[in-house]
Amino acid sequence: MLVPMTKVQIIGTRNVLDQTVRVLHRAGVVQIEEKLPTVEPLTLDPTAARQRDEIASLLARLDALLTLLPKRLPPKNLSALYESQAARPMDDVISEARQALARLDAPAQELARRHDQLEADQVTLPRYAKTMRQLMPLAAELAPMKNYETVALLVDRKFSAVIDLLRAQLPALTNDQFELVSRDLDAETTAAILVFPREHSPTINSLLGRESIAQVRLPDELTNVPFKEALATVESRLAAIPGELEKIHHDLDALADEWRVRLAVWSAVLHDQLQELEVRGRFGATQYTFVVVGWMPRQRLPALREALAREVGDEIVLEELPLTEREREHAPVVLSNPRPAKPFEFLVRLMALPRYGTIDPTPIMAIFLPIFFGMILGDVAYGLIVLGGALYLLRKAKPGGFRSLLIVMVYCALWSIAFGFLYGEFFGELGEAFGMHPYFSRGEAVVPLFAFSIALGIVQVGLGFALGIYQAIKLRQRHELLDRVAKVLALIAIFAMVAAAAGLLPKELMTPSLALLIVGTVLLMYTIGWIGLLLAPIEILGTVGNILSYLRLAAIGLSSVYLAMVANKIAGIFGNIIIGIIVAALFHALNIALGILSPTIQSLRLHYVEFFSKFYEGGGEGYTPFRREGIG
Amino acid sequence: MELALRTGLLALAAAVAIAGAALATGLAQGRIGSAGAGTIAEKPELAGLMIVLLAIPETMVILGFAVAAMLILKIP
Repeated sequence: MLVPMTKVQIIGTRNVLDQTVRVLHRAGVVQIEEKLPTVEPLTLDPTAARQRDEIASLLARLDALLTLLPKRLPPKNLSALYESQAARPMDDVISEARQALARLDAPAQELARRHDQLEADQVTLPRYAKTMRQLMPLAAELAPMKNYETVALLVDRKFSAVIDLLRAQLPALTNDQFELVSRDLDAETTAAILVFPREHSPTINSLLGRESIAQVRLPDELTNVPFKEALATVESRLAAIPGELEKIHHDLDALADEWRVRLAVWSAVLHDQLQELEVRGRFGATQYTFVVVGWMPRQRLPALREALAREVGDEIVLEELPLTEREREHAPVVLSNPRPAKPFEFLVRLMALPRYGTIDPTPIMAIFLPIFFGMILGDVAYGLIVLGGALYLLRKAKPGGFRSLLIVMVYCALWSIAFGFLYGEFFGELGEAFGMHPYFSRGEAVVPLFAFSIALGIVQVGLGFALGIYQAIKLRQRHELLDRVAKVLALIAIFAMVAAAAGLLPKELMTPSLALLIVGTVLLMYTIGWIGLLLAPIEILGTVGNILSYLRLAAIGLSSVYLAMVANKIAGIFGNIIIGIIVAALFHALNIALGILSPTIQSLRLHYVEFFSKFYEGGGEGYTPFRREGIG
Repeated sequence: MELALRTGLLALAAAVAIAGAALATGLAQGRIGSAGAGTIAEKPELAGLMIVLLAIPETMVILGFAVAAMLILKIP
């Protein structure tokens, strides 16, 4: 069901603005409209504007700091802490938060920076160490010299001629003051170490660049250190990293233990305060009064009125606004359904929110969808497995879409078990081995199963049309009304004709049915317009197709039965009980995976495409009331 | 002999009915699926709609299955 909404206007004197905003924020039921066209927008006074800017910048820093600190389990009294901070004068909270930031910001960021640096070193240093170890034998041949630069080179062996090229050019560049040793490291690489006076560094570097020779780059602080020492430094640094990281973690933990909860509470309080300041941009104002317009559920009106009277006094007026047809269409949509049907709201939303004033299909979906699912899967063992899986996951699932889906799965599994008893299926036809007796064997009674599916289709599509006709009358949509009546007439005529042809109805009904079909078709042509001459027959065929589409309830179920049968048969072929059980388990696992996915999608599709298309109007706008985020 | 031929032809007809429908469904779903992947990448909130659109051509293979099943049932 869609909750009845109403549009309210609140007018008050400017001296009660703060209290009003706070009451509205705590009540959390009014969705405040964007700027009002008829009055000037309210501008924040300088103090409030300054506070807003200050809070915004504080929040950016607070949230950045919170991402640096490791998470902590929230204490039990978290919301009490939040309330106690929210009740304090906001300036006190702001100045306390600012002082804390001044104390914590620099050390926390320094810890985080060092942490990142160490983690980066942990990745890069082993790479340096590896290359340097390869170069060690060469370095041993060179004595360390002051004021000389050492460069390590790695060259692909295919291009090792470039080293001879270097050897030819270096005497001229360095006045013969150089040393170059090279050696093949492995099948692919030749390594070389070049030592030369530091003053020639620029010329040599540009020569290496010209020849595209890759130098082994060391971290900056190691470049001027002799090779052996550098390797030793790298290795000792690597060994020290875990200890340093642990110390940093320890320090961050200590900071988090002391501050995290306090910072999180401040952040939540300031977020909410910022909201209270920013929402005023949507208010209108005159010199002495302010006005705000918004949507709210009608049933919450008395409570809000009472709260405003109690906490603000009589300098404020709350009144319901009369609605135009256009406004009513844009009312925000709140779904409200009995508890068992609530999880199905998620599935309706998945399609689109119904437009305000139309029918909410959630309760009907809650009845049909699990039955369809059960009818398709229809196996006691599979049902039990799905039920067990859903219940297990439910224990840990947080509220939200996934949880809703799991609850839906529980209903579906229960119906699968019920249909499983009806079909006498337990891992396919294994049920008979356990003494289960099929009341309706779907593997054998294929035609009755098809007939039953079609019958379900007629029931649901008929229900869809009935809802569609009711809604069209209620919303005075003449066009939709004629369209749906015409299709219903044509459907009745077609089924009467089929029944008469099959001998289920007297043959004399053929002619009146044909007449009814013509009436329906002409009515539909009239509704659609000129193009209807072409489209009306197609539309009617499409509606018949909608009903035939319910055949999938039988067809997908049968394919799952056959797959289960194949699993048991193939398992039987092996003659070895262990291999047989493994093969059967694999096949049944596949069948269960398909058996969850495919009935869900097929039943959903029957609802979305075949059922919803008869009455459903999407495009509803969501309801986002102005309310405190709080903490949690 | 005649019975064997009749049985064979019925089985073949059933196979053609399901195979043709399955191929057609596959072709349609392939295109819808690739368009759907693009859609969901840009607008994840349309995932529900895309699942529905993806499932629409399956009516074809299901009708093919129904026809095939009826043909198979005619085999004596």
